[in-house]
Amino acid sequence: MDYIIIGGGIAGITAAKTIRRRDRHAGITIISGEKVCPYYRPMIPLLIEDDDADVTYAGDPLGKYEIALLHDRVEHVAAEEREVVLAGGRRRGFDRLLIATGSRPVIPRIEGISGPGVFTLRTVDDALGIKAALHGVKKAAVIGGGFVGIKAALALCRRGIEVTIVEQLGQILPRRLDARAAEIVSEALARRGIRILTGSAVSGIMHDGGRIAVRLESGSITEAGLVVVAAGVRPDIETFRDSGIKTGLGIRVGGMLETNIPGIYAAGDVVEFRDLLTGRPSVSGLWSNAEEMGRIAGANMAGDRIKFGGFLPVMNAAEIADIPIVSAGIIEPLEEGYETVIDEGPGRYRRLVFRGDMLYGVLFIGDVRNAGIYVNLLKNRIPLGALMEKAASGDLRYVHFVKTHPPAGLAL
Amino acid sequence: MKQIFVRPDRCMACRSCETACAVQHSADKTLFSAVLQEPPPMKRLFVGAAEGIRMPVICRHCEDAPCLRACISGCLYRDDHGFVRRRKERCIGCWTCIMLCPFGVITRDSEKHIAVKCDRCHKLDIPACVNACPTRALVMAEPEEVAADRRQKALLAASGGD
Repeated sequence: MDYIIIGGGIAGITAAKTIRRRDRHAGITIISGEKVCPYYRPMIPLLIEDDDADVTYAGDPLGKYEIALLHDRVEHVAAEEREVVLAGGRRRGFDRLLIATGSRPVIPRIEGISGPGVFTLRTVDDALGIKAALHGVKKAAVIGGGFVGIKAALALCRRGIEVTIVEQLGQILPRRLDARAAEIVSEALARRGIRILTGSAVSGIMHDGGRIAVRLESGSITEAGLVVVAAGVRPDIETFRDSGIKTGLGIRVGGMLETNIPGIYAAGDVVEFRDLLTGRPSVSGLWSNAEEMGRIAGANMAGDRIKFGGFLPVMNAAEIADIPIVSAGIIEPLEEGYETVIDEGPGRYRRLVFRGDMLYGVLFIGDVRNAGIYVNLLKNRIPLGALMEKAASGDLRYVHFVKTHPPAGLAL
Repeated sequence: MKQIFVRPDRCMACRSCETACAVQHSADKTLFSAVLQEPPPMKRLFVGAAEGIRMPVICRHCEDAPCLRACISGCLYRDDHGFVRRRKERCIGCWTCIMLCPFGVITRDSEKHIAVKCDRCHKLDIPACVNACPTRALVMAEPEEVAADRRQKALLAASGGD
C-alpha cells in the first residue's frame, strides 16, 4: 500500500506515524514544499528573538518511522488516475492520499503590501527572513492583533525594536478574549513597550528607498522599518480546485475525514468541519486539532473506522508578557440563552459561559490551574448536572467527578 | 509492571503524599531544607476532597496522553518505562498541556515559566508519594492483581457474602 501525504505539518506527520504503527510494510511519503520539515510550527516566533532556538523535532521521527520525505510541490491531484502531479509535470501514484497542506496567511488588499520589508509569519523561512531583515531596524508594525501578531511583536520587542500592533477590531485577540481580558493583556504588552492601536486599519504601506511607513485609515502615518502581516490564515486549498475534491471553507470531509473521493482524506487546518459547539461549518487553524485529525485520518487510511466528532475553533493556551492564558469555546456568545460567570481577583480573571448545565466557554487569565478540567468538559460535551454550582465557582477539580460522573472516575 | 493505585476509601487527606512529593522534587530532598527553599518546591499531585470522597489526584501517565500529544515544543516525551516526562530545557511555557490535562495535574512554575508534572519518581523504586502514605491509600501493584481482587470483591458482594 502506498500512502502519500501532502504537507509536513503536525497533521501530516501525525498521520504518517499513525499509519506506520498500523502497517509495517506501507510506503509512506510526505511531500512538503518547505525546506525544513518537520518542525514545531507554533515555536517559530522564537527564531526571531533567540539565535539558539531549536524548533526541530528531538530525535529523527522520519527515520524512526521510515517515512520518506520529498521536497517538492504538488500542483494537481489526478483523482481518477490516483496520482499526484508534481512541479514540472512528474507524477506519483498513491493508494491512499492525505491532504494536509494546512493554511496560508491572509494577505489583506492593501497598497504596497507586496513590497520589500513586509513579511508573514507562517513558516521557518518566514521567521528566518524576518530575523535576517532586522539589521538596522528600529521600528516595526504588526498588522493583526491575534496570537501570531502578538508573538511576532513580542519577539521583535525582545530584539529592541519599537513595535506597533494595528488591530482592526476593538480589542486584541478577538474571539479569544473578552474586553476585560484584552485590557489586562494589552496593559501587560504596553508595559513591555508595545504600542497597540485597536479599531484601526492599515490603508497603505509606503515604500521610499529602504524606508517603510504604514498609513492608517485615520490618515496617521507610522514609520516602520519592517512590517509583519498577521491577519489570520485560511485553508490552503487552491491546488485542489479542479481535482473533483469538494471544497467549501476548506476541504470538505465526512466523519472519517475522507473527502468525497474514496481513498483521499484530509486533516488539519485545511479541513472544513463542524464546530463542536455550534455545529456550523468551520475551520480550525489550531495545532492540537490538527494533531487529533492527523491521528484519526491516519488510522482510517490504514483501515480503521474512527469518527471525528468536530473541533473547537477556539482552544488556545499561551503565555503573553508573563500572563498565562487558556481560552476555549465561545467566550462572548452573540445569541441569547447563555449565562456568564465572571470572577476577578488579584492576578486572576476568569469567565465561564454556560447554557443549561453545559459549559460553552472557558477563559482563564493569570491562573490557569485546573483549566484542563474545564476544557475537557467543554470539548467532550459533558453535562455538569449536580456539579453545576461547583463549576460556576471556578473551583471544579477532578475529585468532584469521581462520585457524580463515574465513567471519568473509573481509573481509580 | 507495577503501577500506582489510589484507594480513596483509605485516604484521610493528610497530605503526606503532597509533602513527600515536594520534598522529593526539592534541591536537597530533605524536609528541613525543602521547607526553607525559596521559591518553595512544587508538588506534582493534589489531594482533593468532595462530598463522600477524599483522594490524591495523580498523573496517570495516560497511554493516550493528551498533554504529550499536544506538546508544541517537543518537551514532553514517553520514557522507556512508559512514563510521560519532560525535557525541561525544551519547555517554552505555552500551557497547552495544562489546557488539555483532564486531571488537572500539570501546573505552572511561575518562576521558571515551565510546566511541572509528575515524573513518577523514575529514579526511585517506590515513588515518594506511595512511600509516604500512612494508610496505604496509595499503593504499588500489578494491574492484574488489582483487577482480580476487584472481581473477587464484586462477586462476593453479588453473592451476598462478605
